[in-house]
Amino acid sequence: MIAKTLRVLSLSSLLVLPLGLHAHHSPAMFDFSKQVTLTGTVRLFQWTNPHSYIQLVVKPADGAEQEWSLEMGANAYLYNLGWRPSTVKAGDTLTVTVVPLRSGKPGAGLLVEAKTADGKTLGANP
Amino acid sequence: MNTRRSNVLLALACATFASLLGGTPLGAHAQSPPDWRGYWIGEGLTAEISGFPAGGDYKLLGQTAPWSEEGRKRVEATRARQMDQKANGWGFPLMMNSAAPMQFLITPRETLIINIYRDVRHVHTDGRSLPPEEDRWPTTWGESVGRWEGDTLIIETVSVRNPNRYFFSSPPLSEEARYVERLRMTGPDRIESVMTITDPVALSAPWVVDLVYERAMGLDRMMHDDYDNDRSEVEDGLFTIVPPKE
Repeated sequence: MIAKTLRVLSLSSLLVLPLGLHAHHSPAMFDFSKQVTLTGTVRLFQWTNPHSYIQLVVKPADGAEQEWSLEMGANAYLYNLGWRPSTVKAGDTLTVTVVPLRSGKPGAGLLVEAKTADGKTLGANP
Repeated sequence: MNTRRSNVLLALACATFASLLGGTPLGAHAQSPPDWRGYWIGEGLTAEISGFPAGGDYKLLGQTAPWSEEGRKRVEATRARQMDQKANGWGFPLMMNSAAPMQFLITPRETLIINIYRDVRHVHTDGRSLPPEEDRWPTTWGESVGRWEGDTLIIETVSVRNPNRYFFSSPPLSEEARYVERLRMTGPDRIESVMTITDPVALSAPWVVDLVYERAMGLDRMMHDDYDNDRSEVEDGLFTIVPPKE
């Protein structure tokens, strides 16, 4: 995945060597030293620019439901990887790997991997 | 009418016809531009679902540039303002080494370089020179002229606004910088380029960057869209993701 970026992109190195770039906002908002795995149900898939988003409803075994806003690349990037607007639908179950916000605020993050209920990884090169 | 005179008249007629069609005898590729069809991306910079490439090397950020004293001051100044910045594209020169697929639209008189973020460069190859100083003003993509030497496209670009003003990680070059690119297709799926940047203000020596473009394999067409779903907002000096508008 973005292992190379994750290894290198600490806050301090970001200021010197901004390896993680996309043409919209600074990546400093994400804590690339951490990853969170979540399983939930898709409520909404936004196939949009400058980012696509998955709204994933997660229900922990011992807690209340929480909706996560998962940021992705622009829809054109996803298209190049073989994704289509119908690749993810409301009601789908996904297990996702997320880079959380640097602020520690829950409920949002950067989506780096998504697997369907049958274990298929979405987003591989076509 | 003798044969020699007939040939001259025929050549004149052909030239006139070619001119009417928009063609002009500017070199080997004037009538048959090289075939660089398709969509191209910086080597190793294909973005994954996160929007970030898994590998590759952004070579135009300036880490290896021979900065002058003034250039180093500019770099220090840019580091302080990266945390909460946005960009609406890549701009030049960064669009020439980015995760954004791009297209080379080659015609006899002009080559257009266009990427999915609607960064557009107009490279005039009709034999014109760069405009005189009084007709120029700095822009994000600059002013370019080009020429073909065999199968190599040579592009000269000037009047580029400090690239860091448009993209927060771009090198803070001055408006006096001059960029020369030599691009050549070296294989069916590979275009190589050497970009040489000189800048009497921010660089102490020419900055030479070797670039490679590979095919964006998943694209069958280039789609453009505006930034209609920007959900990043600044909170305590860093961006956060706000809930969707529904």
